[in-house]
Amino acid sequence: MTFTPNFAHWRATVLHRPDSNTDKLIRQLRLLGFVVEITWAPPSADAIPDLLLVDADQGWDGLLPWQGADAAPCPLVAMLASEAPSRIAWALEQGAGAILAKPLNTSAVYPALVMASARYQERVETRERISYLEERLRLRPLVYTVVRLLVERGGMTEDEAYAVLRSSAMQQRLPLETIAASILAGTQPMPETG
Amino acid sequence: MALGQYGPMVLSLALSASWGCCFFGRSMRPAHKIGILYSTSGPYAAIGRDCRDGAEFALAQCSKVMPGLVEPIHVNPDANLNGYVEGALSMLRDMGCRHIIGTVTSAARKEIIPVVEKHDGLLWYTCPYEGFEANANVIYTGACPNQHLIPLFGYLLPRFGKRPYLAGANYIWGWEMNRLARELIATSGGEVAGERYLPIAETAVERLIADIEKLEPSFVLNNLIGPSSYVFLAKMHQLALRNPAFSPERCPVVSCDLTECELGQLGPEDGVGQLAAACYFDGLDGADNRAFRVSFAQAFGAERRVSSIFAATYAATSLCMEAIHGASTDDPLAVRQRLYSKTSQTILGPLRVDAETHHAALPFHLGRINREQGFDVIASLPAIAADPYLTARRVARRPQLRVVS
Repeated sequence: MTFTPNFAHWRATVLHRPDSNTDKLIRQLRLLGFVVEITWAPPSADAIPDLLLVDADQGWDGLLPWQGADAAPCPLVAMLASEAPSRIAWALEQGAGAILAKPLNTSAVYPALVMASARYQERVETRERISYLEERLRLRPLVYTVVRLLVERGGMTEDEAYAVLRSSAMQQRLPLETIAASILAGTQPMPETG
Repeated sequence: MALGQYGPMVLSLALSASWGCCFFGRSMRPAHKIGILYSTSGPYAAIGRDCRDGAEFALAQCSKVMPGLVEPIHVNPDANLNGYVEGALSMLRDMGCRHIIGTVTSAARKEIIPVVEKHDGLLWYTCPYEGFEANANVIYTGACPNQHLIPLFGYLLPRFGKRPYLAGANYIWGWEMNRLARELIATSGGEVAGERYLPIAETAVERLIADIEKLEPSFVLNNLIGPSSYVFLAKMHQLALRNPAFSPERCPVVSCDLTECELGQLGPEDGVGQLAAACYFDGLDGADNRAFRVSFAQAFGAERRVSSIFAATYAATSLCMEAIHGASTDDPLAVRQRLYSKTSQTILGPLRVDAETHHAALPFHLGRINREQGFDVIASLPAIAADPYLTARRVARRPQLRVVS
């Protein structure tokens, strides 16, 4: 961990009926620099805080304005007293990155928040990586088309044609698929043989 | 137990400025029991003894003006983690203590906190530690990193260079201090020359010394503890004799937990010139400190020096007793409220405990080991509010050190 996780000026919403646990939680969150709101009403999808803590004992399907773990728009911490699998499953389905056990132990708060934020960040990066790779996969036939053209017009083998295209992509620091697409669109010339 | 239950007459007597009246109040009220929980034997006995003596000295002095207010209950866990839990349990459950002044290591503190919470007691922790804690059942008068490591690096990086070597014990203190040091070095645009960890109590430091000699760092951050640290300082001294590039003037070894009480464990020349950060040094100037040293010398002899952990434990114990007296009860909630409401004059200077972090604001001093087994104070900062979770670091301005010599 290169930099100390720092929550100064983050907005947190505690989705939980106020009780002694939330009193302790809110004190600890403020100590960590959060601006805290507590409510027991479904949050609006266009007012998502920087971090959300939810009562997983009482939470119902539809409480949170998203569907499925991957759609969670911010780090989520589940507050849980129950050990019942159905409640743990609910927390997982909402995209919780950490569990805070009730009754609350204040020393568990910071580690849970760091864990949930890191898991959320990881999930965002994985999602971006997957959509990038999917895009490349979608454009892969264009690469093959350009390789065929190079073979037919330049008299190269497939391996040579691929190497030429690849070196052109590396020189321009762009993905192979992007180069292939712009060659086929006519916005850049067919690469010359090495 | 509470003074108040005996009615307003006793209360007003005890609160009156004339302490002679207290005889009456004392006779009617049993003393509040205060647990003193330090290992005065085992590998870190020197530190435990200084803490215990600081608490005892405060108790003895307070009993002169508040006779019969408190009665200490001593337990020596002999550096055994279970011993700490058993000691804390017996104090809180069986002996009627609501307050424990105790623990040196983070491991021992973490071990007894659940016991203190369960019995709704208050733990007074007085040693420097690695931060990232702010328990409602603990009062912290030991420094956390924004009160030791951060100002220390603020002083060292511009003066000695941005390529330090990090040495640490395989323990939370070494790991977390070095993690933060890496962050501070990266933020300043420097680089870590090298980093090495030794098992706790390991005294084979040859590879560590060879590493440092090869890498020629700007300075060495020493987060070794106890015997490892003493041997390391001795070997660094030998290295400096062999190669002046490693003399303390050019490549100092700096610590955040080395105090006067451990200098006696070093050879007479071993530590001379090396640096340490603390919230107090025996060698501090000022009339208050001179007067304190006179009374200290009467109690402990002219040879012994006051360490920051003695001073911090002395200050915490005094604050505890003043707050119990002021609140007329040892109820931890009342004591905490009393404590948060005012700034107290202490041996560490004017001292305020923050109601949110439960930490004391503490001054920062940088000391250089001299030939008299003490420290010369070479730089100081006035009291810094504790920021145990380092939430303010990204917006905080770098503090400017006032060089005093």
